[in-house]
Amino acid sequence: MKIKKEGIGWRIARDLLLLCGLVLILFPLFLVLINSFKSLEEAGRNFFALPSSFRLDNFRELFENNNYWVFVKNSLIISGVSVALILLLVPSVSYSIARNYTKKYYKGIYFYLLMGLFIPSQVIMLPVTKLMTNLNLLNRQGLILLYAAFSLTQGVFLFVNYIRGLPFEIEESAYMDGCSVFQTYTRIVLPLVKPMIATLLIMDLLWIWNDFMLPLLILNRSQEIWTLPLFQYNFKTEYSFDYTMAFTAYLMSMLPMLIVYCLGQKHIIKGLTAGSVKG
Amino acid sequence: MVKRKISGKIYYFGFTVIPVLLYTFFYVYSVINGVRYSFTDWDGISMTFEFIGLKNYRSLLQNPNFWGSLKTTVFYSILLVAGVVILALLLAISLNSLKRFRTLIKSVFFVPAMIGGITIALIWDQLFYRVVPLVGQALGIGWLSQSVLMTGTTALPAVVFVHIWQAVALPTVIFIAGLQQIPDEQYESAKIDGATMFQRFRYITFPYLVPTLTVNLVLMVKQGFTSFDFAFALTGGGPVRATEVIGILIYNDAFKNMRFGMANAEACILFVVVAAFSLTQLKLTSKGGVRE
Repeated sequence: MKIKKEGIGWRIARDLLLLCGLVLILFPLFLVLINSFKSLEEAGRNFFALPSSFRLDNFRELFENNNYWVFVKNSLIISGVSVALILLLVPSVSYSIARNYTKKYYKGIYFYLLMGLFIPSQVIMLPVTKLMTNLNLLNRQGLILLYAAFSLTQGVFLFVNYIRGLPFEIEESAYMDGCSVFQTYTRIVLPLVKPMIATLLIMDLLWIWNDFMLPLLILNRSQEIWTLPLFQYNFKTEYSFDYTMAFTAYLMSMLPMLIVYCLGQKHIIKGLTAGSVKG
Repeated sequence: MVKRKISGKIYYFGFTVIPVLLYTFFYVYSVINGVRYSFTDWDGISMTFEFIGLKNYRSLLQNPNFWGSLKTTVFYSILLVAGVVILALLLAISLNSLKRFRTLIKSVFFVPAMIGGITIALIWDQLFYRVVPLVGQALGIGWLSQSVLMTGTTALPAVVFVHIWQAVALPTVIFIAGLQQIPDEQYESAKIDGATMFQRFRYITFPYLVPTLTVNLVLMVKQGFTSFDFAFALTGGGPVRATEVIGILIYNDAFKNMRFGMANAEACILFVVVAAFSLTQLKLTSKGGVRE
């Protein structure tokens, strides 16, 4: 929006709003950061002061606790394998649907997969817990399968629309040159849908890494399969008195995603926007 | 050629097999089971249960706690949607008009979207306990000087506040994307014609923003009705059910109160409400506004 000369009042209001917003976002994160370096006594004396020394005891304690690394490993495995599986399944099934859209079967499964858009997560959470209990899948493998299954609706919705918007001629000529459908898919289509793949990767990685509800339902029974969000939640109930330690744990759980964000923030913002505008 | 055509068909079909099976078995089958359980008296643990028809639904309609929870959920959603959409719109217009540091400030505003809901809830839990009362005392505001999460009247707005803190990031950048599609010439000519700032917003900016507004509304309404993490970690539904949104009611009934069948009936009612709402919204918002 262009500002006219008389818009000074508006400009001050705008800057004030943005400033308040920045403080409201950064100040809590700043408090987490400084207090994760403090001992309980020091934080009790003054919560807002900078730490008197670069004290790493909390971090040392957290890292020497072997369980912490188990939780990190679980989070990494579950996020990594789920996202890999999703990236294997979603583009290929979407390609089939998009290029056979006139056929009854493919159109049918498209709308079948889109049904999930209307179903709130609460409807799934109870029966799926029972299902996984009965199948003996209250473990990491089970959770990965669930993420793959639950990601299909949104992923296919995004990809089918995107692929249908791509020109068919390139694929056709590749096909004429003797490429099979599979070769056309891997050599021609996959490179063309790269931007969408990035979007899907970011969306689902963020969702799975930070997800709380499904791990709570599927993994809460035994500590050795907890993910980082579960660990943080249970940390509150078990050690709520040691809150500087808790801040250290929160900081260490946020850090991986914040580092990823710093490295590729432009792509991440663009990818997430594209994902929700089309989804 | 014929052989290749057939093998092509096999690939196409092959690509669909695993996704359809996964989705059918874990998703659709679970939805069907959920509906089935809602007609039973199952406690969630016993080996046997009986089908009792519509009894769960009938007793839910007479249960004040269920209605209370439904009301809490609607109230939560209204606060969330209004808060996020208005704030995101203001932020988007502000950010978009910045000349210096725009990218930097925008990326700071997007940081909360990177952090998990549970982490944010736990951080704010500490802040509500240790920092917010000090602010309240300094400003001399009575209700802010106590623990807002422990007071019935302030707990729900406090939980929604934390949700907004995280959720406003994405709608803001979606609005910015919408704003950037408005051709500059339109503003120029409007200015030459003497349009006021409000008129320019009403007749140029707003029509262009309708599609993105739709997206944001759908996004936030769904988040509101299905919210769980924030209330679960901040208050657990209390004090005295003040923040017991339907997600928490369902979770507690199923896993703590041993009323598994009943909890499924609650979920099914929510399903009908959300589905009806989504359909109406799709119909209402599919017309009007400038297309992308």
